Amino acid sequence: MDAISLMESAANGALIGLMYSLVAMGIVLIYKSSSVPNLAQGSMTMLAAYVLLAFANSAGAPIWAAISLAIITMFIIGMAIERVALRRLAGRPIIMILMMTLGLEIFLRAGSMTIWGGTTRPMNLGISDAPLFLGPLLINRAYAFGAVVTIAMFGFFVLFFRSRMGVVLRAISDDYTAAWSVGISVERGVALSWAMSAVVATIAGVLWSSVQGVDQSLAQLLLKGVTVAVLGGLDSIGGALLAGVLLGVVEGIASSVLDPLLGGASRDLVDAAMLILTILIRPHGLFGRHDIERV
Amino acid sequence: MTLKDRGGDAPVLECRSVERRFSGIVALNGIDMRIERGEIFGLVGPNGCGKTTLTNAITGFYPPQRGHILLNGRDITGLAPHYVATLGVARTFQNLALFNGMSVLDNILLGRHIHMKPSVGRTALYWWLARSDETLNRAAVEDVIDFLQLESVRDELVDGIPIGLKKRVELARALAAEPSFLILDEPMAGMNQEEKEYMARFILDARDERNVTVLLIEHHMDVITGICDRMLALNYGEMIGSGVPADVVADPRVIEAYIGGAHVAR
Amino acid sequence: MLFRQAGIFHTDYSADRALFPIPADRWMIGILLLLALAAPIYMNTLYLSSYLLPWLVWTAGALGLNLILGWAGQFHLGYAAVMGIGAYAAVHATRAGIPWEIAIVLAGITAAVIGSVFAFAALRVKGLYLALSTLALQFVMDWTISHVPAISGGTQATLQAPDIRLLGWAVTSDAGLYYVALVWCVLVTSFMLNLRRTALGRALVAVREKDYAAAVIGVNSFYFKLVAFATSSFIGGVSGAILIGTFYHAVTPEQFSVDVSIQALAMVIVGGLGSIISSYFGAAFILLMPGVMNSFISWAATKFGFSLGIETLAHLPQAFYGALIIGFLLIEPLGLGKIYNNIRDYLLVWPFGYTKK
Repeated sequence: MDAISLMESAANGALIGLMYSLVAMGIVLIYKSSSVPNLAQGSMTMLAAYVLLAFANSAGAPIWAAISLAIITMFIIGMAIERVALRRLAGRPIIMILMMTLGLEIFLRAGSMTIWGGTTRPMNLGISDAPLFLGPLLINRAYAFGAVVTIAMFGFFVLFFRSRMGVVLRAISDDYTAAWSVGISVERGVALSWAMSAVVATIAGVLWSSVQGVDQSLAQLLLKGVTVAVLGGLDSIGGALLAGVLLGVVEGIASSVLDPLLGGASRDLVDAAMLILTILIRPHGLFGRHDIERV
Repeated sequence: MTLKDRGGDAPVLECRSVERRFSGIVALNGIDMRIERGEIFGLVGPNGCGKTTLTNAITGFYPPQRGHILLNGRDITGLAPHYVATLGVARTFQNLALFNGMSVLDNILLGRHIHMKPSVGRTALYWWLARSDETLNRAAVEDVIDFLQLESVRDELVDGIPIGLKKRVELARALAAEPSFLILDEPMAGMNQEEKEYMARFILDARDERNVTVLLIEHHMDVITGICDRMLALNYGEMIGSGVPADVVADPRVIEAYIGGAHVAR
Repeated sequence: MLFRQAGIFHTDYSADRALFPIPADRWMIGILLLLALAAPIYMNTLYLSSYLLPWLVWTAGALGLNLILGWAGQFHLGYAAVMGIGAYAAVHATRAGIPWEIAIVLAGITAAVIGSVFAFAALRVKGLYLALSTLALQFVMDWTISHVPAISGGTQATLQAPDIRLLGWAVTSDAGLYYVALVWCVLVTSFMLNLRRTALGRALVAVREKDYAAAVIGVNSFYFKLVAFATSSFIGGVSGAILIGTFYHAVTPEQFSVDVSIQALAMVIVGGLGSIISSYFGAAFILLMPGVMNSFISWAATKFGFSLGIETLAHLPQAFYGALIIGFLLIEPLGLGKIYNNIRDYLLVWPFGYTKK
């Protein structure tokens, strides 16, 4: 293992990590507003990719139009999920809420497979396969594109949380009873956060399916998303961004070192280990608030 | 009946210059307290003066940063709350800490926890290993239920009974442990005169019939002067008066803390 | 009327703490036990070995999960991994020539020891974070089982489980295997029933409800969390071993993947937390649902004359399963057990419904 290829793993890892951040951001958005840990974020990402394919292939729309249509559809689906499934569970024990998001995960995943089938289908965004050269390092062009989009999304959220609606969401996340008492519609705010999270899932779905195609494995981004979200601190968007880079780099380096030793597929192991270590050592993550339930 | 008649002169509980801070704020400062066997000892002071912090220091929830706490001559400073409980310290909480999903009977049975031997084996082989133990402890619990007149609500869920009864159930759970030292944190908060009198009678009976020494935190001065043998007044974490209730409540510093000094002076 | 309580007087404390104080309940349990014992006589072997048997084993497993989730109030999203540990331990032990009855005890102990690792997460965090860390542990164990050839028997390998031998007798008949499952399920059920009336059960509930109040009466929360995790893992491990021994007859990593953990969780939640009969209902519901769904779909397809692709047929039951979990949480969050209790409460005073408070 020479230094160049290690650096290459790290650099590509950082870019992939930024794309994980996109999934994590969706989880953080919902957690921030309603303290619901959305374990259906992975299958929302997968659903979004299928919806996009449906618009692009069946309706024959050009890719950018299809993406816009998918974003609008997912915005509505996100709101619908909150309205139908989550709103009535407000105030219930966390186990019920977790089970609900797990139920949603199964339903959305199996539902998309029922409608569209399970074979892997390509998604072409028109990004060339030729690598980018960064000095001596070979960088995957699709990853680089994904990383740029992620950073743009992060910039959007920074601006959004300064806007009027963003301040409303911050108030809800801080103390929803207080938000209620000053006349904020908490329900609408939470619904908006689900809708935005679904939009983020759409963008993640587009980017990830351009890398690995559209199939069931998109739902497995959940583990990465959860790890990044917890590592960054469940209520911190910026934390999700940095934690994504961190996880990507660790994963890239660790898997290039460990794969030959363990016979491959060590990425998931690294993720799970990172998640456990984060929770045991610093449950509120790198940038989360401290008032986390501890024993 | 004098103190000596109730047995021995070793203090049940002794606090030696106990100090507790919460990130810079001094909640308790140099508290010295001796509670003799068989006493009902009153602890008073305005809200936020450190009464509950002191009980939390004794029971191990917030161990003091300085000073020592001795139970029957044994240093219990910094021991874990569940271990302090096994040494014979029971308490009730200001805002109740009952197990709402369980029946009154099960709540009081839980009070017997330190006298029972819960284990997987005994649970699996209940008929051979646990039944006699459960029955014995049930009899002890029924004594307490008799004592506090809780027969009528024995099988009710705690969630569904009135607050006055809940306070009594919590007292029953504490007494079921057969403690040598009992801390009652505002057992009469929110009660009417009749309920207060009932509770005061229960406390006196508990001391006389069940040989417990009581630390009673209370805002109702009539109760304190009525049933306590000695008392201690706190303000801002400092001791401002201690001794026989009649003397303490007449102490100008105590009156100042409770009513406000300026008004007294004018 | 049916479950008449009037006129039942207990004269000592142990009678008051009997498992089933109402005679109607005792009759019902007795009849059910007789029916269960006689099942191989009147029941078709297909139903016996492909529905009744897995239902009993899964009920035992679900009860173990209910112990940790419903009684001790600790999250466990890695229960299938624990069952898997037991299954692999038992298969390896029997293949090494250890008698089966000892092998399943070993399986339970192995699962209990490794399962207690989950308890150390519970020492640090609770609620959501405990859920996530147990989920991560499930991934780690999945990975370990499938990537260590010494455990899984090589990549993508299935490990054949040797036939069960009890006291030297080979148990191979459907009825024999069924009785093994029945005995285990009855044992676990009686343990859980006893848990409702012993100091251990009360201590676990105390830890679940208010940990500081538990400390005040002398309950060491951490110790009882550890006991809860170890006991539930033991039950899970033995259930996993019996599931392999009596039903699958071979063990693969996928049998205990994260989806199976969620399935076990669904059994407990759809059934109802902290109730014993609920685990029976929940396990039956979750196990039978895909089969019922499949036959319903094929019935509807012929009835209304539409045809569905293979993909659709393969995934529709799964989607329906997700929808059912969602539906249950929305409509009856307390689960099937609550519905049963409502019916029972109604029958307690039937036909004099107005006597209810």
